[in-house]
Amino acid sequence: MTLPPILAALRKHKAGVVLIALQIALTLAIVCNAIFIIGQRIQRIQRPTGMNEGNLFLITQMWVGAPTGDDQASGDKMDSLLRTDLAALRNVPDVESVTAMNSIPLLNSSWTNGVSLKPKQQHSTAHAAFYFGDENMLKTMGVQLAAGRAFTAADVQHRSFRAEDKPPIIIVSQALADKLFPGGNAVGKSVYIADNTEPSTIIGVVKRLQVSSADTWTNDFTWNTVLEPVRLNSNFSRYLVRAKPGRLQAAMKESRAALFAANPMRVIDDSAEHNSIRSFADIRAKAYRADRGMAILMSVICVILLAVTGAGIVGLTSFWVGQRHKQIGVRRALGARKIDILRYFQTENLLIAGGGAVAGIILAIGLNLWLMQRYEMDRMPVLYVLAGVAVVLALGQAAVFAPARRAANVPPVVATRTV
Amino acid sequence: MLKMTHLSKVYRTEVVETYALRDFNIDVKEGEFVAVMGPSGSGKTTFLTIAGLLESFTGGEYRLDGIEVRELDDNARSKIRNEKIGFVFQSFNLIPDLNVHDNVEVPLRYRGMKATEREQRIMQSLERVGLASRARHYPAELSGGQQQRVAIARALAGSPRLLLADEPTGNLDTQMARGVMELLEDIHREGATIVMVTHDPELAARAQRSVHIIDGQAVDINEEPRFHNHAHARVASQQI
Ligand SMILES: Nc1ncnc2c1ncn2[C@@H]1O[C@H](COP(=O)(O)OP(=O)(O)OP(=O)(O)O)[C@@H](O)[C@H]1O
Ligand SMILES: [Mg+2]
Repeated sequence: MTLPPILAALRKHKAGVVLIALQIALTLAIVCNAIFIIGQRIQRIQRPTGMNEGNLFLITQMWVGAPTGDDQASGDKMDSLLRTDLAALRNVPDVESVTAMNSIPLLNSSWTNGVSLKPKQQHSTAHAAFYFGDENMLKTMGVQLAAGRAFTAADVQHRSFRAEDKPPIIIVSQALADKLFPGGNAVGKSVYIADNTEPSTIIGVVKRLQVSSADTWTNDFTWNTVLEPVRLNSNFSRYLVRAKPGRLQAAMKESRAALFAANPMRVIDDSAEHNSIRSFADIRAKAYRADRGMAILMSVICVILLAVTGAGIVGLTSFWVGQRHKQIGVRRALGARKIDILRYFQTENLLIAGGGAVAGIILAIGLNLWLMQRYEMDRMPVLYVLAGVAVVLALGQAAVFAPARRAANVPPVVATRTV
Repeated sequence: MLKMTHLSKVYRTEVVETYALRDFNIDVKEGEFVAVMGPSGSGKTTFLTIAGLLESFTGGEYRLDGIEVRELDDNARSKIRNEKIGFVFQSFNLIPDLNVHDNVEVPLRYRGMKATEREQRIMQSLERVGLASRARHYPAELSGGQQQRVAIARALAGSPRLLLADEPTGNLDTQMARGVMELLEDIHREGATIVMVTHDPELAARAQRSVHIIDGQAVDINEEPRFHNHAHARVASQQI
């Protein structure tokens, strides 16, 4: 059967048609926006930090009874505690390399500052996150050098975490280098950190390194990072450790024992809350927990919405098949084959779903525009709308199949036998 | 045209088996107008649904226009219904969602006919039944007699060789019934074979031949006039 008589018959069932079309439109609008959000979240969750993330773990610990002053003697004492720990960790058989750092990507413990091309600039040229570590920092993180050189032991200084930050040399991420020097060749150039009047010289550029927070406030400078050759002294410390391949669990256990053997006067809080010896995989999972939650929530909403709409179509079509029982028999008597009846209902649904989809496209784009205004969502690519249209049309065809087949099986004798 | 030999039809439900037709024999020649009569429940409608390929039968043989019906699959039956047979039902059976024009068009569409030819046939057959001016009306807006004439137009539009009518005037008053009967006679004169079930002896008398169905068996009155009386006696006794 072709379209005109199906359309003509639908005009007699306006209420049901409008209801289902509207439901399909809403489903389309919500589902394609939700899929877009899910896609974005998954992309966020999966983006690499720039480190070689396998086999990495982080130790956070605190010394008991360590000096806390800013004077030289206290600083030297704290630094010797730090170096003792680093030596102990380096001797663990399953440890490949280790470095002391203030923070690492995704840890959600941030040190950020402005970077300027000239001293005392009113507005800094770029904002960046800062990592402090020793000569093993690049190697342990596994970040790749794009230009220049890494830090050597001779470059590394130590200072109190409260002392002024005036590094003579720094390494920057490629993203930051591009922002500061769009012309390229950042190596050898000077920049000014915060309000410094003394320049810091860029000696190297790393390909990619993420800031230490995945929260939205860092969205504008996610890949702008600065590395300084500094061991920060305080009464607590963080060690980023790279285990030998496949030896992560063993190295985590052995490192703990090694630290206590070297110096028992310390606290490593193992409570679930602090979990102070954590694999990087664990840190990453926690950093993106909200994103994953959002993606799951959106998926659940999509599934429920599609199920409800599918059930609505099954219900309405079943009702119509019952209502038209007699006329289906008459059509069969007049020469309709089973396939003709099946096609009739499939086509009818395609028309309704098609109408719903047209309205749904408008709603979907409207919803996206509203989300862009209210929640700084990105513009949804047309592809998502098209995918949504394909999904609701397929849903309609699938949902209508069972009742349509029941209709096709109505025997032609119904034409003579029922009143 | 239509030949049944030793045909039987059994309806099985959980509790009983009903022989709606048993050892049923009939031979309707091409171009004949046969009236089928008989008491209620005797098997008239059953005969017509089997003759029209709306239902399968249990035993025996049925040849329609030279084709052995038992061997046909569902699609082939649909095709024969569509091309060779026209149906007129007691309760009209127009499709309420479609207007008169679209109702008449239904079998033509299933035949895959081109639009221009469809239009021509629809208008021709509606004119024939005198309802061309009602093409855009819906069935609910027509009288019973008009609805039955639309149904006849629908049956005619495909120019079937065989017209099967199950009490086509059963729901109509005498005058409307007369109109429908005249229409059927017209169609017969033009060469169609007609089998019509009716309870009205007056209408039956206008057919060329009457067949009585009693207890699922056919009794041809014109051929066996003596058996005729006997049959009526049985009808009388059954109805008491
Ligand atoms: N689907 C069915 N299931 C079981 N029995 C049936 C079925 N259809 C018909 N019958 C039985 O078959 C017999 C013949 O029925 P049929 O409808 O052919 O009678 P009829 O001669 O047309 O009667 P009427 O004049 O009242 O229309 C009846 O006894 C009826 O109860
Ligand atoms: Mg009957």
